Amino acid sequence: MHVRTRTTILAASIAVLLVSTGPASVHPHVFAEARLDVLVNPDRTVRSLRHVWRFDDLFSSTVLMEFDKNGDLKLDDAELKDVSDTVYESLAEFGYFQIVMVDGKDAAMNPPPKLMANFEQDQLLILFESEPREPLKLSGKVSFGVYDPTFYTAIDFIEDDNMAVDGMPADCSRTVIRPDPEEALAQNQGTLTDAFFNDPTGTDMSKIFATRLELTCPAQG
Amino acid sequence: MNRTTGRLVFAALVAGCALTQFSSMAHAQSSLGIGTSEATIPSTGLFGGLMMWINIQQQAFYRALTGALKAMRQDGGQMWLLVGLSFAYGIFHAAGPGHGKAVISSYMLANEVALRRGIMLSFVSAFLQAATAIAMMTLLFLVLRGTSITMTNATWFLEVISYLLVMLFGAYLLWQKATPRIRGMIGANPAYSLSAAHAHDHHDHACVHHSHEPAGEDSHAGHDHSDHAHDHHHHHHHGPGTVCSTCGHSHAPDPAMISGDHFNWKTAWSAVAAVGLRPCSGALIVLTFAFLNGLWVGGVLSVLAMAVGTAITVSALAIMAVTAKNWAVSFAGDGRAGNRIHAAIEIGGAGLVFLLGLLLLTASLSA
Repeated sequence: MHVRTRTTILAASIAVLLVSTGPASVHPHVFAEARLDVLVNPDRTVRSLRHVWRFDDLFSSTVLMEFDKNGDLKLDDAELKDVSDTVYESLAEFGYFQIVMVDGKDAAMNPPPKLMANFEQDQLLILFESEPREPLKLSGKVSFGVYDPTFYTAIDFIEDDNMAVDGMPADCSRTVIRPDPEEALAQNQGTLTDAFFNDPTGTDMSKIFATRLELTCPAQG
Repeated sequence: MNRTTGRLVFAALVAGCALTQFSSMAHAQSSLGIGTSEATIPSTGLFGGLMMWINIQQQAFYRALTGALKAMRQDGGQMWLLVGLSFAYGIFHAAGPGHGKAVISSYMLANEVALRRGIMLSFVSAFLQAATAIAMMTLLFLVLRGTSITMTNATWFLEVISYLLVMLFGAYLLWQKATPRIRGMIGANPAYSLSAAHAHDHHDHACVHHSHEPAGEDSHAGHDHSDHAHDHHHHHHHGPGTVCSTCGHSHAPDPAMISGDHFNWKTAWSAVAAVGLRPCSGALIVLTFAFLNGLWVGGVLSVLAMAVGTAITVSALAIMAVTAKNWAVSFAGDGRAGNRIHAAIEIGGAGLVFLLGLLLLTASLSA
């Protein structure tokens, strides 16, 4: 009995020690100031989402060092093409960070035909345009969020005006929702734990944390 | 019961480490395809909330660091803000994906190393890491720019070498720790009890270079002296000129041996090299920005500050590891259980280093 207790305490303490000396957690290295334009057709359907991301100076300088093949400390067109191809390929897996929801249900977006990369004032710019897969009518509550589910990139919409609607019907109203991460965590703790047990590898927290533009329009038949 | 004790502890060691390693190795490539996300978190899960909280804090911290770098570009007087933040970064971030702290802690678990040496090892390896980052960036920026060697290539190359060294180092430790015991267990020497093996093990470490029998002392006097001169770096528990009185004719555990230094510079240096060869990505990012903007002094100082911070954290963890080990051994008593636990911790620590190297190497070769 005596030995058993000691052993248990010992094994537990060693296990705790080892877990605590394990690898450090995630590091979001990258920030991007973003702008989103939602383009709406006259028939109240969404034509496309236009994204502009301006990356922070630190990340931009590593991109410059990495892709500057000819060593002139500038990114020319061919080098920028490499940058955009690389990002384009990687983002496919993450739906280009777009989360579009209609009345709480996901609406699929088509991948953008291409990505544009540019370098302005020491900062990397990424631009692209993505269309809804199915016609997406502004009816009820439609929300548009941009978020990196891996937390590697923090997409920031500094001002509410950086999420804009072009051609918004007069009877719709728009709000920008910025969830407070800590509050969102507290509110969703139960859901998150359930989600883990139901689907350990699956869903992400993007929907909870993403800054999103919410359009509320009268329901249409 | 006692026989299972060691196995239980060992299983706990391996399982704990394997779990933490595998869970973080899931996504090495970042979502943007540029740069590596050092580790990723479970987006949902029992610890999702805590991890998310840590994530938010780190995000805020990166923002501050980015801000400080930009401020320094505008005004050189802002350099100290950057240096301070880098120091804090080192403390919290502690050697990238954590192989540094894991290797040093495991090394200290596997060896009888005095705490102050553990602290010194942490500092030396952190500064080597900083030096690697500075040397690599200088080379890339001034010499290799425009060649096909990019930062990603170079980092990857150093990383693979570093992990390979970690693995080899672990294999060596494991071999050194496990063979005497296995030999004793399979009955090569029936009188070779575990406690004697324990003492003998350390005896081999400490005195291998001058294990002279008293009878042979006269005929080998010259040899002894040169040997000793060569040797007293290792042996701080007896002063220069004295002869190790217990060497060669005592198998009883000498208290000085157990509590003191059995410090082997060769193995220690290989631990330091294995850790220090892989530059920390935070340091590389700061240096890239600093060099591109001509902020040479600020960049280098900030990386050195990071190294100090990292060394402090790694030291603290190493101290925790050794304290826990000592506590566990004394808790289990002096008898056979104590020896077994001691053995299990040592072999477990060595196995851990090996496993860590293997996992990291596979992950970075397959990336």
